[in-house]
Amino acid sequence: MWNNKEENSDHTGINHCLTKKTGETQSSRNSLSSLLKKDFRMMASGKFFLVALGSLLLYTLFINFGYLNFMGVNANIYNVYLYDPAGTYTQASPLIRSAASGEELDKALARDTSGGVGIRIKGGKPSIVLYAGTEKVDRHRADYAFSLLHSGSKYTPETVGDNTPEMKQRREITCELLFIEIVAVGFLGIASALFKEKQMGVIRVHAIIPLRKSLFVFSKVFLFLLTDLVFAALMTLFNVGFIEAGGVLPAILIQTGILSLIMSLTGFGCTMLLKDFKQFSLAYLVIALFTATPVFLSANTAIKMDWINYHPFYHIYMGLKNAFFGTPVTNPVYYICAACVIILLFGIVEAAFHIEMRKEG
Amino acid sequence: MIEVRNLTFSYGKEKQALHGLNFSVEDGEIFGFLGPNGSGKSTTQKILTGILKGHGGMASLFGKDLREVHTQEFFQKIGVLFEFPYLYANLSALDNLRYFSSFYPKEQLRDAREVLDELEFKRDFLRKPVSSYSKGMRQRVSMARALISNPKLLFLDEPTSGLDPTGAVLFRRIIENERRKGTTVFITTHNMLDADLLCDRVAFISNGNIVAIDTPRNLKEQNSSHSIAVDYLYQGRREERTTEASELKSGIPFPYDELISIHSQEPTLEDIFIRYAGRRLS
Repeated sequence: MWNNKEENSDHTGINHCLTKKTGETQSSRNSLSSLLKKDFRMMASGKFFLVALGSLLLYTLFINFGYLNFMGVNANIYNVYLYDPAGTYTQASPLIRSAASGEELDKALARDTSGGVGIRIKGGKPSIVLYAGTEKVDRHRADYAFSLLHSGSKYTPETVGDNTPEMKQRREITCELLFIEIVAVGFLGIASALFKEKQMGVIRVHAIIPLRKSLFVFSKVFLFLLTDLVFAALMTLFNVGFIEAGGVLPAILIQTGILSLIMSLTGFGCTMLLKDFKQFSLAYLVIALFTATPVFLSANTAIKMDWINYHPFYHIYMGLKNAFFGTPVTNPVYYICAACVIILLFGIVEAAFHIEMRKEG
Repeated sequence: MIEVRNLTFSYGKEKQALHGLNFSVEDGEIFGFLGPNGSGKSTTQKILTGILKGHGGMASLFGKDLREVHTQEFFQKIGVLFEFPYLYANLSALDNLRYFSSFYPKEQLRDAREVLDELEFKRDFLRKPVSSYSKGMRQRVSMARALISNPKLLFLDEPTSGLDPTGAVLFRRIIENERRKGTTVFITTHNMLDADLLCDRVAFISNGNIVAIDTPRNLKEQNSSHSIAVDYLYQGRREERTTEASELKSGIPFPYDELISIHSQEPTLEDIFIRYAGRRLS
């Protein structure tokens, strides 16, 4: 009898706990739904969706009617010229154009406007010859020249993907513009929405309502993530192509998600910690200049910066670029680091949010 | 309802805001917390509403230590009116109330329109954005936000600021109604009239210390000089004389032709505050 009573009492306790837990889950779900609705309205009234749509339209027009025409999608790939007086390299690729003399090689390079590369064989050893002004040539251009010279041997490059020059350019420029959009525009978007709430003082009201405070942060970040993902998907579909995008879209969305979460949390944190939009503009300038610019310089130009490997955004940018080219990052360390950064930022942002709630009016 | 013993708080190492406060608030009482800016009244309210953490001493609400009660259940029981009307300016009064009330259990909520009607909010503005409201209208919506969840304990910070005299009278009536329903009200203010007309008891706070605590009536009586000012006409001239109340037992103790007015020389709460704290309230 005693045992039964104890058992029943235990069951009642468990049921009570379960009911309480279910109630809390239900309450959290309702709270999140209210926050999402409110944040959506705030974003809509701040014309955020309109700006995003405008950016999408502008980027799409630029890529399809500006960039591709300007860059000349049908331009030939650069020529490789060879002066091999002793005829040492018999297995050179037929794509290499032979020069009869050193002078002819120099003239051919001087005439070439597509960034041609020359190879001069001296004492059996090849050396690269470049026209003045192209001496800081990308390494891959030199590698390409050598691979043609050693055709069929260990220098033969591995061919990745089957992109046409146009598709390659489409993927590259779409990736760059998407990165800019999320780093700059998304970052500003969350800040402008939050500064409004900060100025209205409504953040302080959230301190005294029955709400799990982390949901306030989660709701905003989630909406911006969702918007960035939709933006990334549309941007990829419109500019890379519906068929071509199919295979790479999941990887692009994963990289976009990582970047979006980091940027929106950084924007959230800056908004909470900085006094006004003027101070925020300065922070924005710092982020734009010191974060995004070196990444582009390193990834798209011949400027050599060894320290770039220590730049976190370089890895995210390359992750996005590799996703566009169908070779997504598979190293788990990258994803573990990204997850740790996001969790850490979330913690910092939540603490900053609590500080803001305590402030005087 | 509220029990505070030796409550201390400091912002950083050198800025001690509260120096050991002691007071209690009974269920259904309207308790006034009076003090000038920077005296520590907002800090006390922030501690009691769970906004500020890290206090010293003991503070309990609803019979539980404050350190244990800051759960969602606690916030469901309190309503807070801030000094400034914090509202979403792009949303209407109704949308603001719908949003803020959505975090409470439905069964404890009052109808938003009904609360706004009670606050005599202009119906034409119900669906217009808050940005188009006057200060008084914003204050009404803020009060509605504090009342909509039927709180057991109501914290009001300068409830009548920004209101015209009619609005102030209305707010005082609503606070009285809340008390009649059994709600405990904790008012933070430096408005003497509100404190005098509404509060069952008041505490004077100055430089983080409570310097006096009692009913407004007792405070006035204890600090009264018990003198009476008599305004009268005598031989065609208007004169005024101040006399001890006890001297009036057997009538007016000086010659006069006609009495114009008789006023007790009772000190105001402001006078009493200055006497205790050595400074003005505002």
